Amino acid sequence: MYNVWLRNFLFFRKTFIVSLFWTTLEPLMFLGAFGFGFGHYIASIEGMSFLQFYFAGLLCTTAMMVAYFESTYPNYTKLTYQKTYAAMLLTPVSTTQIFFGEMLWAATKGFLGVLGVFLVSSMFGLFNANFFVIAPVLFLLSLVFASFGMIMIAIAKNYDSFVFSTSGVIVPLSMISGTYFSLDEIPYYLKTAAYIFPLAHAVKLVRTVLYKEIGLIDIAHIAVLIVYVILFSFIGLRLFKKKLVN
Amino acid sequence: MSLALNAINLKKTYDGIPVVNGISFEIKPGECVGILGPNGAGKTTTIKMIYGQVVPSAGELLVLGLNTKNDIAQIRSRIGVVPQEDCLDTDFSALENLLLFGRYHNMDRDLAEAQAEHLLAEMKLSDFKHKRVEALSGGMKRRLAIARALIHKPQFILMDEPTTGLDPQARLWIWNYFERLKSNNTTLVLTTHYMEEAERLCDRIIMIDHGVILDHGTAKELIERHVGLEVIELEVGKEKGYWINKVEQAGLRYQEYEENLFIFFKTAESKQGFISHIQNTHYYVRAANLNDVFLKLAGYQIREKS
Repeated sequence: MYNVWLRNFLFFRKTFIVSLFWTTLEPLMFLGAFGFGFGHYIASIEGMSFLQFYFAGLLCTTAMMVAYFESTYPNYTKLTYQKTYAAMLLTPVSTTQIFFGEMLWAATKGFLGVLGVFLVSSMFGLFNANFFVIAPVLFLLSLVFASFGMIMIAIAKNYDSFVFSTSGVIVPLSMISGTYFSLDEIPYYLKTAAYIFPLAHAVKLVRTVLYKEIGLIDIAHIAVLIVYVILFSFIGLRLFKKKLVN
Repeated sequence: MSLALNAINLKKTYDGIPVVNGISFEIKPGECVGILGPNGAGKTTTIKMIYGQVVPSAGELLVLGLNTKNDIAQIRSRIGVVPQEDCLDTDFSALENLLLFGRYHNMDRDLAEAQAEHLLAEMKLSDFKHKRVEALSGGMKRRLAIARALIHKPQFILMDEPTTGLDPQARLWIWNYFERLKSNNTTLVLTTHYMEEAERLCDRIIMIDHGVILDHGTAKELIERHVGLEVIELEVGKEKGYWINKVEQAGLRYQEYEENLFIFFKTAESKQGFISHIQNTHYYVRAANLNDVFLKLAGYQIREKS
């Protein structure tokens, strides 16, 4: 598993400046437009500035987006055109090791994206020491969407297939999970619907740890994320094995 | 002496259609065995079962005494595979490709580096080791794929069409290299469409079609058994009926192919006797070869690529 992760790291090392620049640029533009720009017109939300409120959500959407995109497009290429996995299977590396190695790498990349966003945002006054407390949760969230991406590559027919998961799942989640507005102020059934999905739990927890008092109940959010990782990797691994060995 | 490979009644079906339909064969350590057959015969599926990319539907497959069902990782750590498509990692250079494989094989880093440099020199790739894979020619990529299969010094090497698409120089060079591997007592299993390659390299040939073994033996045995010593290719044109009659009367074996008749002779005398009867018809005499055996066993029809 480590060697599969390492292969990606070695490739990343060749292009990491360009890669990290583009990975963090997009979320930072969102931070500028919504956090600083739009947030300027909002006095407070859930007892904090809109910038702070949105920043917590942005760290989570970054983890989700970067991990998801890293585990779909590049991995689909490795699975099909580049035949990287077929080559690995000429060696003692197993399909399970490839699956988890790739998942772990995509999550690593997601976390690096979060780190990049945090570092740059810190220069604009958003530094918060509690980030280091919540960092493992952001990595866990990256794992959730890395494993979701692994399911998608196993069922994709071609690159266009990812439009469904991107436009049908990832983008809507980034909207409805309490990133832009408070879930406490919407109708109960909508709020419940939002909490079916993992992103809302991560956003809530990250925001609580960064700016509020944490309670025992908040630990439940971590449990939800763990359940999602286990569920997605279980399904993904089965599909992935079918795709590689017949 | 234990077997390098033992396949017992191996089967593979896809959606109820058998691709490999109950084949059994043995390979001894140090042997070079060629698996021959037309497109869709089941060659690649058989090779893939040996390295575990395809799981047999039925039958047993033992590689170096290990069962592919339970010990595939251990088998892969002891065999080298050159797949039909090179599957080189295009994100990396030639040298990095070899080092990555060293890692996948859990090799010691220094050992992998030494072996990679050694193989690159052997394969005449040292000057290109820092080039990205995509910048290499087809022949170079193939050589790199062979080097990659040898990084962990396996004693058993599987090659699926190792010289397909290469120019004659590259092919000749690879043949020479394989002969060196053979002299080191390495077990080689290869598939090929080039009869010349099989005749030259393989100690034994297994002919398969429609997922079953048609015959096996040394090239010489197969040629003698199915064809004979020499072949006359006779351009019979519209007089085919006349000639077939004549050949059958002489008790000779033959094969029709469009406007030609291939007549097979067991002895030089019978050939000379037949030639004395040919007048005003263009003909061509040549030694019988594995190609005749292949076409005779697998038929002369064009196959769809499966």
